[in-house]
Amino acid sequence: MNDKITPKVGMFILDEQDQLHEFIDLDSIVQKLSRTKNMSYCEVLKNPKTEGILASVQVKFQSGQFDRILWVGRFPTEQKKCLESELGNAGLNPYLNEWCDLEEQGIGKERGDRAIKTQKAMIIVQMAMARTRLLEPLEPLQLPGQESVLIIGAGVAGLHTAVTFTKLRKKVHLVEKESGVGGRVASLRRLFPRICDPHCGLEFAIQKLSKSALAEIHTLARIKSLEGGPGHFEVKIEKQPRYVNEQQCNACGECTKVCPVSVPDHSEPFSTSKAQDPTAAQKIWSSRKKAIHPAEPIAFPSAFVIDRHICPPGCRECEQVCPVQAVELEQQCSETTLKVGAILIATGWDPYPLFKVEEYGYGLYPNVVSNMEMESILEDSPEIKVVGFIQCAGSRDERHLTYCSAVCCSVTLKQVIRLKEKWPQARCYIFYQDIRTTAFDEELYQKVKSFDQVIFIRGNPATVKPGDNGGLKIRAEDTLTGSEMALDIDLLVLAGGMVPSKGSQETAQLLKLPQNPFGFFESHAPCHPEESQRTGIRVGGACWGPMNIARSVESSHRAAMDIMPFLNETILVDPRIPVLNLAKCDKCKRCMEECPFSSFYFDADGFPALDAAKCRQCGSCMGACPLAAISMRHFTIQQIAAQIKAVKTSFIGKEEPVILAFLCQNDAYYAAKTAADDHLQIPPNIIFIKVPCAGAVNSALIADALSFGIDGVLIAGCRDGQCHYVKGNQLVETRSVDLTDKLKKMFIEPGRVRFEQLEIRDSQRYVDLVRSYVEELKRMGPNPFKN
Amino acid sequence: MPPKVEREKCDGCKAEKETLCEQVCPGDLMTLDENKKAICRMPRDCWDCMSCVKICPKGALETRIPYQLGFHVAKLIPLMGTDTITWTLIDINGKVERFHYINRGSLD
Repeated sequence: MNDKITPKVGMFILDEQDQLHEFIDLDSIVQKLSRTKNMSYCEVLKNPKTEGILASVQVKFQSGQFDRILWVGRFPTEQKKCLESELGNAGLNPYLNEWCDLEEQGIGKERGDRAIKTQKAMIIVQMAMARTRLLEPLEPLQLPGQESVLIIGAGVAGLHTAVTFTKLRKKVHLVEKESGVGGRVASLRRLFPRICDPHCGLEFAIQKLSKSALAEIHTLARIKSLEGGPGHFEVKIEKQPRYVNEQQCNACGECTKVCPVSVPDHSEPFSTSKAQDPTAAQKIWSSRKKAIHPAEPIAFPSAFVIDRHICPPGCRECEQVCPVQAVELEQQCSETTLKVGAILIATGWDPYPLFKVEEYGYGLYPNVVSNMEMESILEDSPEIKVVGFIQCAGSRDERHLTYCSAVCCSVTLKQVIRLKEKWPQARCYIFYQDIRTTAFDEELYQKVKSFDQVIFIRGNPATVKPGDNGGLKIRAEDTLTGSEMALDIDLLVLAGGMVPSKGSQETAQLLKLPQNPFGFFESHAPCHPEESQRTGIRVGGACWGPMNIARSVESSHRAAMDIMPFLNETILVDPRIPVLNLAKCDKCKRCMEECPFSSFYFDADGFPALDAAKCRQCGSCMGACPLAAISMRHFTIQQIAAQIKAVKTSFIGKEEPVILAFLCQNDAYYAAKTAADDHLQIPPNIIFIKVPCAGAVNSALIADALSFGIDGVLIAGCRDGQCHYVKGNQLVETRSVDLTDKLKKMFIEPGRVRFEQLEIRDSQRYVDLVRSYVEELKRMGPNPFKN
Repeated sequence: MPPKVEREKCDGCKAEKETLCEQVCPGDLMTLDENKKAICRMPRDCWDCMSCVKICPKGALETRIPYQLGFHVAKLIPLMGTDTITWTLIDINGKVERFHYINRGSLD
């Protein structure tokens, strides 16, 4: 530290119309501070206008009177920005400005003794001064990026977002585990609200992608491993063999004609159910497919694909008949490594396995079908006269899915509309708990209600039994009228819910992404919805939660917006990243454990190293380090320690306790600031330091504060589950428990360290809290280290 | 006398290869037992330097004072700040004395 140039601080106090003079003795503060170490210039500004300030500051800065500025007083945010940028042009690094607002610390006109206020203001300015001395110029970090993005899942969300990316001139790698694109939506036949064919929209996207040189689609591929970080992800993908050469196949279909095997082409849940008579079930709705067949669900790429596991041994019929020699039965798995700047996960959903809902006989009776199967029945089946629909089959049910899947009501209504379009005489019974048609879907509900022969029955059926002529007999109770009924129907449709797809589960495990209790990707729902807790990896569409098609396309686009910054040649990162002091580091790995975003990796010597692009600058690592070897730049442990040392503990008299608070800048700080702005009666005993997250407060700092005689240390963070950095408040809570246990051993009251949860609008609670804490500390008596 | 480990507190430094107390012990006496908790393997060789007590992030270690100097109640507890160290000394009569020092250059 000795080789550094001595800092020269210029202090500017904004005292508009002598406002500060009214309630504090400004002259004595200026007089005293102008004599402190490193203070080289001091001025009281009377004119709050930006031009006026700039005129006097700029000249003096350029004449070299000072090299950093401490601003005291309340400057509006816009003015701060303006001053920082203007002085930046004059050569002052923006990180060499320190803003010290006396009012937010509770020094206001109304309350308290003038002498105490002056003393407190003096301390606060001295604290800011201590910090200003240690400020360092910083420049935004420039990290190498990649102009390419990986989208996992080529469903409706993935495809549409891929199109958008190509429009933005970004290279897109689309990875899909099936042989063709389209995903779940491609197996639907009609979409609400327009009762249109989904292939129309999908085909539109596919056409765009097929024409674009920037889009690359990897079908039959899965993610194998992931290395690197945002801007430099290296993703290994494994491609299953297609057994048909993609370039050569012209999709003439000769091979399908000669293929000797055919299997039922049905959706997954039924194949795993215990169907008594699957052939009967298939008669209604299932088609058959050959071992060699077009790609599924949408034949893009157009090359055919062979399901090798159903090929008869030794059969080479397709190979012999192919006019272009595209069949390659000896193909093997291949691996490719993709270099991408960011990843978008759109792995979608699976239908809830309805055979688990035993009471409705799915899988037992051929004419009990899921709403997904109903899609094709509606288009292909001969006339059906009486149809029953059961809503919430397995949803909003403690035994199955406890949540609402948001789309099933609208899906059923859509199917009823389609049914009535085709067969106006058909009769429908809809068993429901509540019809949840949010937003404009209500129109569907109103439309269906106006149909003849559509009966809504509130309450789900008690029993489903086979009836006469292959139909079903249903016993149910209408809970609105209390009447029991027995109905004969031809087809029963179960509206099953949505669960995260198998692919989502695999992806989550492979990429180590947190999941919520339902298995969907976890995120900070209201503030950062598509957040995956891993920087540069975002989640869009139904793998994030149940939603309809429009929402899922929308959500994946939001996610895409969030990863755009990583898709440039250089990524600009805020320079306030944590820096490790390797001379002190003991490789204990606590920073790695506690980083909520997995930003650390082991370097070649086994030391933790930071991937700056992944870091969200919360400071959890700084709080975690047992050796205080990690410092956030611009918020270094030295700067805070210096601030703590600057606190004089007897400014309100020996008996009054002094509280030092560390307030999270997302919530608690605003609560305190609003309390001051609203002129609430904040006790003068508290002085606070703003921190990026409660989790950034190191125990050593608390130990410092206590050993310098501060009576109470208050750490205030967000409420549980509301932390922007996932778990900062929990981290600090466990750490303070460890510390208070130690204090007990030392015969110091554990109450001297206190953790509180505050919300942004808890200003009154903040005041009450400080007051009660002051009372509590008075009862405890002064800190034994107070001198 | 050897360090006493509060077993509920010790998290074995998340079961890393070398715990902090293991790294810092000048006599290489600390290690992890089969339950991944810190343990002093040669109690007689400990010379009470208290390095392990100072470094333990969980506050799970405590040094018992040799019986020639103190008995049961007597304790010597360090509290580490960023560049400060604060000692609490409790003698056999339960009398508490505290000492506060600023370390030189530890923040550089």
